[in-house]
Amino acid sequence: MRKTTAVIALALPLALIVSWRAVAHHAFSAEFDKEAPVTLKGKVTKIEWINPHAWIHLAAEQPDGTTVAWMVEGGTPNTLLRAGINRNSLPIGSEINVRGYQAKNKSCEPACKANGRDITLPGGGKAFMGSSGTGAPKDGSDPRDR
Amino acid sequence: MLNELIHQAALWLDNTAASTSMHESFYVYNWVETTHVLTLTLSLGLLLVIDLRMLGLAFTNLPATRLAQRLQTPMFLGFAVMFITGMALFYAIPVRSSQSLWLRIKLLLLLAALINALVFHRHLRNAGPDWNNAVKAPLSLRRGAWMSIGCWVGVVICGRLIAYDWFDCSKNPAPLISAFVGCINGQEQF
Repeated sequence: MRKTTAVIALALPLALIVSWRAVAHHAFSAEFDKEAPVTLKGKVTKIEWINPHAWIHLAAEQPDGTTVAWMVEGGTPNTLLRAGINRNSLPIGSEINVRGYQAKNKSCEPACKANGRDITLPGGGKAFMGSSGTGAPKDGSDPRDR
Repeated sequence: MLNELIHQAALWLDNTAASTSMHESFYVYNWVETTHVLTLTLSLGLLLVIDLRMLGLAFTNLPATRLAQRLQTPMFLGFAVMFITGMALFYAIPVRSSQSLWLRIKLLLLLAALINALVFHRHLRNAGPDWNNAVKAPLSLRRGAWMSIGCWVGVVICGRLIAYDWFDCSKNPAPLISAFVGCINGQEQF
């Protein structure tokens, strides 16, 4: 009996670590603030087409006409490709609209950071740019959310 | 000095075409990462079975060294795959990884686990066959088993935390952390 208890006591933390790992590469709540939704509109300045998360940099237009540098985290290049976004659909300088959530760290150094949910492409098409199952708010942008 | 060298080497790796294509790949990175994590379940699982047997907490009705010998080969195969895929993951993102607090702690823990494993094997050889059917292994082996479990739990946690950028050099971490992870003054590539 004592043995069984000890085995469970040992196995449980390990099981938790492993399943936690499987849930998402990078839990939403660790880095991003679900209470801080943002809508950004502006021109693409740079794309980092990298694993495990692609980053879209844009100069977001402010009401007063100035721009603020933002970098928006997306899924993997593979996820984005499946969602219909590739390197060529976002040339530098193209006008995009992104909805997402700002990072908990709001220092904006070197750029304001956000987790992207959906993106409106230059042609008007809309796509989900995040990853599924990260614990992000169910705001309707992820077609796999139920 | 050492950190300067590590940084130069990482920059050199980062500038190779294969590193970039893996970092930007549609499939390779994902498959390599998945394989890396799946082999964890294989090898760490087997290691845990051996450790628990030594501690007298699992399979106590099986001879301890027989069990260890049987499980060793698949375990080492898994560790080999883990090592290769781990190197590949590092190669895809060399600069950031080489300055990752978690990766550095993880490597120290892996070194500790390796030394512990070597000591464990020496004790195993020296212990002779008399205790083989006993519920618990001799104290030196039980100590090694606890060390092994402790190190590997730490390795898994650190491995998981590499994904987070809390202490990245681009975020100007506290001086102590910055020195430990080897941030370079005025570095431009992260």
